[in-house]
Amino acid sequence: MFFHNFKYTFKVLFKNKMLIFWTFAFPIILGTFFNMAFSDIENSEKLDIIPIAIVSNESFESNSVLKETFRYLSDEDSEAQLFSTKYTNEEEAKSLLEEGDISGYLIIVDTPKVVVSTNGINETIFKSVVDEVNQNSQLIGAIAKENIEKELKNNPSINPEAIYKNAIELVQKEKANIKNISSSNLSYTMIEFYTLIAMACLYGGILGTVAINQSLANMSSTGKRVSVSPTKKRNIIFSSVLAGYLTQLIGLVLLFLYTIFVLKVDYGTHFPEIVVLSLLGSLAGLSLGIVVACLIKSNEDLKVGIMISVTMLGCFLSGMMGITMKYIVDKNIPIVNKINPVNMITDGFYSLYYYDTFDRFYGNIIGLFLFSALCISISIWSIRRQKYDSI
Amino acid sequence: MIVFKTFLKVVNKSKIPIILYTVILVFFSGFNTVTNDNSTSFVATKPDILIINQDEEEGITKNLIGYIGKNSNIKTIENEKEKIEDALFYRDVNYIIYIPKNFRKDFLNFKNPTIEIKSTGDYQASLAELLLERYLKVANSYHTIIEDEDALLEKIDDTLEVETKVEITSKLDTSALDKATMYYNFTNYCILAGSIYVICLVLSTFKEEKIRKRTIVSSMSHKKHNRYLLYSNGLFALVLWLFYVVLSFLVVGDIMFSMHGLFYILNSFLFMVCALTIAFLIGNFLIDKNAINGLVNVIALGSSFLCGAFVPPEYLPDTVLKIAHVLPSYWFINTNQTIKEIEVFNVDSIRPIIINFSILLLFSIIFILITNWISYRKRKIG
Repeated sequence: MFFHNFKYTFKVLFKNKMLIFWTFAFPIILGTFFNMAFSDIENSEKLDIIPIAIVSNESFESNSVLKETFRYLSDEDSEAQLFSTKYTNEEEAKSLLEEGDISGYLIIVDTPKVVVSTNGINETIFKSVVDEVNQNSQLIGAIAKENIEKELKNNPSINPEAIYKNAIELVQKEKANIKNISSSNLSYTMIEFYTLIAMACLYGGILGTVAINQSLANMSSTGKRVSVSPTKKRNIIFSSVLAGYLTQLIGLVLLFLYTIFVLKVDYGTHFPEIVVLSLLGSLAGLSLGIVVACLIKSNEDLKVGIMISVTMLGCFLSGMMGITMKYIVDKNIPIVNKINPVNMITDGFYSLYYYDTFDRFYGNIIGLFLFSALCISISIWSIRRQKYDSI
Repeated sequence: MIVFKTFLKVVNKSKIPIILYTVILVFFSGFNTVTNDNSTSFVATKPDILIINQDEEEGITKNLIGYIGKNSNIKTIENEKEKIEDALFYRDVNYIIYIPKNFRKDFLNFKNPTIEIKSTGDYQASLAELLLERYLKVANSYHTIIEDEDALLEKIDDTLEVETKVEITSKLDTSALDKATMYYNFTNYCILAGSIYVICLVLSTFKEEKIRKRTIVSSMSHKKHNRYLLYSNGLFALVLWLFYVVLSFLVVGDIMFSMHGLFYILNSFLFMVCALTIAFLIGNFLIDKNAINGLVNVIALGSSFLCGAFVPPEYLPDTVLKIAHVLPSYWFINTNQTIKEIEVFNVDSIRPIIINFSILLLFSIIFILITNWISYRKRKIG
């Protein structure tokens, strides 16, 4: 009987087009959209070559430091290239700026002046570089002056040009001693895909809801027939739920394969942990579906509606519609995300991807386990010994 | 009237999703409220930096922190490893500077102490690195000639205070326009999802076989019935559009009272018309009521993601944008982006907008023609 019910629940679930759409197709479609929209976003946030113009008048030609610096920073073969520079006259620079072809231009009348059309990061960097050149000229001047004065005390016949050259070399050679120790796994768009997996786990709960409805006497005529059959309720419920779980896992495996091989999502390197997390995540979704099916006495549409809205709310809080949301909730009201199963799954993947230690991961695993256990206990408590005199 | 009443009943049933779309819209566009409010003088972009100082805040250490603080937004985050790591991952800070213990002592003893940093690698972080590098270079250079700390700090400050003059040419209030563009780009999702959802629901309700048979045998002529249905749906779309326009005045503010605002509104009106025709088309060939939800999500989310309603179009890969040309949403959003850039409205500057408007209208006509063709072929009942 166990296997019989298992087999038929499995068939019923697979033939329900709406269910299969939401649990199998929708996450894959959404993942494809995410991939199209976000695949370039992190690259666009990296510093691009900034198009600028320089008015090459006499003052500029005679300012060797500025000239050299911009020649160096505009060198296409150099790794340090920051600008692509057009040397032109003022009229043309103006029109280039108006057309939006350049971020700004540099013109020297007495002192250097930067002309830009708006505020922004490119403009800030352009100004910052000109600042630095000016500061360096002052720095070099100050050092040379100091050295000349020092030398003069010992030796009246000095070569100021050589000292000046030394000062330039000194400043140019000076390197800031900075060591970058950030993790290489910093791609925050990964969170989107993690919420996607979490969403699929929770949507799987709808399968649980539908499967349980099949065996509840007050829900469907199939349920009535099943309930009067001489079979232990335990067997019926357990086999239905198992069929739901299996269907859900098939969908999840498909989603994993798609995201790994087609969308190139990086789940980190801890394969066994990922499997455990996915199994537990699906279980949490399933138990939520079961508890909704058991507690809410209404038609199937409403139950499915509740499952979808609860999942979407959970996804929203864990960053699907804007990654910052997860951070805001985590930082300000952590308790909300501690009990949000979507976030427990998302956070589990995140901690595997970003952290070296497993503490946070195990926290999420325990959370998911407790969540599932609680939901299942409530369900058992609510449907055991249910009897109907008339229905 | 009876048609309209039934229509209202169905609309009433779908109020929850519409409220949900609206809440998300307000949330998203309200999200970007922290912007500079003037653009007539230059405001440098400031990266968000976290400094974790393990040294005592004195002398050169204090001076370094002061310099970074002046040129960036210093974030304060609890000194807990996990919180710091999270802040970096979610871009709450772009750059973390760990000032080591005894930094000051080592620096003054010419040991050139290493400063460890963590960086998100984006342009804000590059800017932060520029600041830190500059300070250290200037400090090291001066240190070769000056030993006394106070004199050294004074020299460093002197040099780092040198600033270039900046002239800003545009008189546009870019931050307000950015916000308006973001708002109207996002309405792409709300208008599409809202109108497709409701209109499909209404059409499929009226198309249920029992109801359809009753309508056919009723005394009301078929044409009249259809006309009422069309009016009601049109009215609904109009109300939905008006609602979002009124909301834009509240969310975006004064800029809506300008020529820019007028064009945003005009553009969204044309898009609403187009969305209405799309909804009619889908409603006409849709048979299963349960499929509405899935279809709405795929169409509205799909065109929003592909055309740049959620992620600004300049961040989208070129191939995606090329594909997006076949969708009306692309032209709607493209127009919004164009409006944002316009400084003076004249025949030349609004020409691209007029072209986009025509394309939207063309889409609408095509959708109407296809709808007519489909409904013509599906007139008979079983």
